[in-house]
Amino acid sequence: MELPQSMQDALTLAGESIHIPDAQFPSFVEVAFRGVINSNERNAIENLKEFTSKDPAAVKEAYAGLVAMVIEAAKQDTDIESLSSLLEDCKFPPERIKEVSETYQKNKPALQILLGSVGRTPAHIVDVDWRLDYYVKNNHMEKVNEAVYLITLKTELPSQKELQEVQFSCSQEQLQDLVGKLKDACKCLERISQG
Amino acid sequence: MEEVDKIIIVSLRTIGCDIEDEIASLKEFSTELIVSSAVQCIKTILKQDVDLPNTLPGGMSARFRMGTGLANYIQELGYKGEIGYQTFLYSNESEIRKVFMFLVDRLPKDTVETTEEPMGSSALLQRAIASTVLRQMNSPWISPNLKKDSITWRGKPPMWQREGSCAMCNYHASKMKFPSGTGDLTKKVPKELKSYYCECLPYITNQTRNHKDTAPSILEEIASEISAQLEWENEWNSQGLASRLSEQEYKAKKRQRIQKRLAETLRQDFKRSQEASSSRSAQDLQQVLDKMGSRTSAGKTKGSRFTHTEQLVFAKDEVVSQIGTEAEKPHTEEELQKKREEEVLGLKEELESLSSKLDQLDLEVKKYSAGVKQMEEEITTQTRQNVEKEENYKVKKRTLDLLPDAENNIAKLQGIVDSSAQKLVTLANQWEKHRVPLIEQYRELKELNSKKESEAEKKLEEIKVFRQKMKEVADDARSKEEMLKHLNAEYNSMNKDEKRSGYTKRMMEIMSSIKKQRAGIDKVLTDTKSIQKEINSLSGKLDRTFTVTDELIFRDAKRDESVKKAYRYLAALHESCEQLVQTVADTGVIMREIRELEDQIENESKNKVLSNLEKITSDYQQMKKENQSMVEKIKHKS
Repeated sequence: MELPQSMQDALTLAGESIHIPDAQFPSFVEVAFRGVINSNERNAIENLKEFTSKDPAAVKEAYAGLVAMVIEAAKQDTDIESLSSLLEDCKFPPERIKEVSETYQKNKPALQILLGSVGRTPAHIVDVDWRLDYYVKNNHMEKVNEAVYLITLKTELPSQKELQEVQFSCSQEQLQDLVGKLKDACKCLERISQG
Repeated sequence: MEEVDKIIIVSLRTIGCDIEDEIASLKEFSTELIVSSAVQCIKTILKQDVDLPNTLPGGMSARFRMGTGLANYIQELGYKGEIGYQTFLYSNESEIRKVFMFLVDRLPKDTVETTEEPMGSSALLQRAIASTVLRQMNSPWISPNLKKDSITWRGKPPMWQREGSCAMCNYHASKMKFPSGTGDLTKKVPKELKSYYCECLPYITNQTRNHKDTAPSILEEIASEISAQLEWENEWNSQGLASRLSEQEYKAKKRQRIQKRLAETLRQDFKRSQEASSSRSAQDLQQVLDKMGSRTSAGKTKGSRFTHTEQLVFAKDEVVSQIGTEAEKPHTEEELQKKREEEVLGLKEELESLSSKLDQLDLEVKKYSAGVKQMEEEITTQTRQNVEKEENYKVKKRTLDLLPDAENNIAKLQGIVDSSAQKLVTLANQWEKHRVPLIEQYRELKELNSKKESEAEKKLEEIKVFRQKMKEVADDARSKEEMLKHLNAEYNSMNKDEKRSGYTKRMMEIMSSIKKQRAGIDKVLTDTKSIQKEINSLSGKLDRTFTVTDELIFRDAKRDESVKKAYRYLAALHESCEQLVQTVADTGVIMREIRELEDQIENESKNKVLSNLEKITSDYQQMKKENQSMVEKIKHKS
C-alpha cells in the first residue's frame, strides 16, 4: 500500500507523542474513523477540547494523514500485517499500531460499505408485482379468452428514497420467454460460482 | 505389509470409517467392518448417493445382494482382479488387501487435488468471487423496506451484501487542502500561512460541501500525488541525472522552458487572429501579452475591457490632456455605455495618431543614429591613415638626416641590422624553450579535465545501474515476501497427520534392501553359472577320459585276463558313478518340488477354506429357511 510522501509525513506526525499525547490517541483515532463514516460527525474532531492547547496546524496535519491512510487502506482491503508494516515505516510505537489496527478491524466493513456506495449503477430491481387479466372478447371476435399478465417491477435508483416502477403487459408466451432468460442468467451465475 | 495396512487404516479413518484404535492390520477386520469401510470408500469416491446401506444387513439374502452390489460398484470403478460377493462375506486377507489398496488409491487423488491447487493470485481471486457469488445466490429475498441503505447482513461472522442501489452516489472529487511541513523543524513555515493553518483551515473531513464527497476527494488527492511522484521519479532518473544539474536548477530550467513555450504559442495565435480580423479584442490581447512579458509571474491579466481602457486612460493622461472627459454624469446605462464607447473610440484614434507619430520619430532616430555610426567609422579610418602617414614621414626624415654621412651610416645600420637579427634568433630560441614545457602542461591539464569528465560520466552510469539494482532487489524482496505468505498459508492448511519423513525413510530403506537383494541374486546367478560351467567341463572331461581309458584297456583286454577284469571293473565303476550323479540331480529336483509345494500349501491355507466352507453351508441353510418362511407367508396371505 503506497501513500504519497506528503501524507506519509503527515502520518508520522500522528505517531509522535509531542503532537498527539498518548492519553488522547485512542479518542483521536476513534474520531478520525467516525468522521469518515458518519456525515453528522464529520467535524467531531473540533469538539475534542484537549487539542486546542497544542499546535493546531500539526493536529490538522496528523488528522489528515490518519484519515487518508484509513481510506486508502479500506480501498485496497489491506490486512493487518501490511497496515502495521506501513505504520512501522512511519515510526509509530507498537501500542499505537495496535490501537489503530484494532479500530481499523472493527470499522473495516462500514468503511468498505461507504467506499462501495460510490459509483453509478442503472436501476436495480428489488420487487415485482403481478396481476393476471383475462381478455374475454373484443368488438371483432365473439370470444378471445386469452390471459394477459400485467407486471410491475419496482426499482431502486441511486440516491432516491422512493422506488420507481416499470410497468408492462405481456402474453403467456412472452412471460415464459422472460422467465427462461432469467433462468439462463441464473445458470450462468451458478457456473461462475463453481469456479 | 504392516505399513500398507497402517496407511489403509489411516486413510479409511480420514474419510470417516469408524475403526477402533486397537485394530492395526487387515487381518483383524471383521466382515462387518470390511463391508462398512468399503461402502464408505465408494461413497467418498463417487460422491453421489450410493444405494448401499452402511452396515451389513441381517438377512442372508440381503447380505448376498449387498455383496454383489458392492462387487459391481468396485468393478465399475475399474478393479481388474476377480471380485464377487465372496470377497466381502467370506473374506481372504490378501484379496481384501488388494481391494482396499485399490480403493484407497482411488481416494487420495480426490482429496489431495483440492489442496494442491495453485495459489496464484488470479486463482485466489476467482475462488473468492465464486464463493461470494454462491453465498449471495443462496440467500433468500428480503423486501426492500426492511433493508437499511439496501445492505443486508447475513452469516455467522456477519458478512454484508448490497442488494439495491438507493445508497449509491456519484464520484465527485473536490480539492482538499491540509497543512504540510508543520512537523519539519528545518523548514520555516511563513507566519501568515501558519496562522491560516491554525485558525481558518477546516479539518479535512469537513472541507467538502457534501460529506459523501470526502472519500472520493481524498482518494483523488492520493492518486494524483502518487502519480505525480512516480512521474517525477521517472523523469529525474532518465533525463534529470543525464543533464547533471541539481534538482532545483533542473526544475527552474524546466519552468523557464514551459513559460517560453506558452508565450510563443500565445503570440502565434495572436498573430493569426490579427491577420484574420483586426478587432478591438486583438488589441486587448496585445496588452495582455505585453503585461505577461513585463511581469515575472503571470498575474491576474484578465480584466474586463473596461479596466483595460481605464488603465489606458490613466497612462495617456500625461501625454494627451484633452481627452474628452465629460463632466456631466449620463443618466441611463445605455448613455453611459455610449459615452464610454465614444470615449474609447476617441482615445483609440488619438492612440493611432500618436503611435504613427512615434513610428515616424523612431524612423528618424534610426536614420540619425545610422548617420552617427557612419561618421564614427570614417573618423577611425582617417586616424589610422594619419598614424601610418606619420610613421612614413618619420622614417623618411631619418633617412634624409642620415644621407650626408651615407657610407658610415650604411655600415652602422648594417651592423645594427645584424645584431638585431641575432637578437631575434636568440629570442626565438628562448621562446621555444619556454613554449615546450608550457605546451606540455597545457596538454596534461586537458587530459586531466577530459578524464574527470569521463569519470563523472562513469559515475552517473554506475548510479543508474545501482538504482536499477535497487529496484530489482526491492521487487525481489516483495515477491519473496508474498511467496513466504503463500507458503505459510499452505503449510498451515496442510494436515500434518501423515508423517512424510517416516514414509520416505522406510522407502529409502526398502530401496537399499532391494538393491542388496538384487546384488545377492546376481551373485548367486553368477555362482550358479560358474558351477554349471564346471559341471559341464568336468562331465566332458569324464567322458573323454572314460573313452580314452576304455579304448586303451579294450585294446589290451583281448589279450590279458586281468586287463579284462580291470575293464569290467572300470565299466561297473563308470555306471555306478553315473547312477550316483543321477541320484544327486534327482534329489535336487525333488527338493525344489518340495519347496514349491510348501509355498502352495501356505497360500491355500490363507484362504481359510474350511472355515469359509462352514460359513457358506450355515448361510445356505439360513437362506433356505428364510425362503421357506417367505413361501409360507405368501401361502398364508393368498
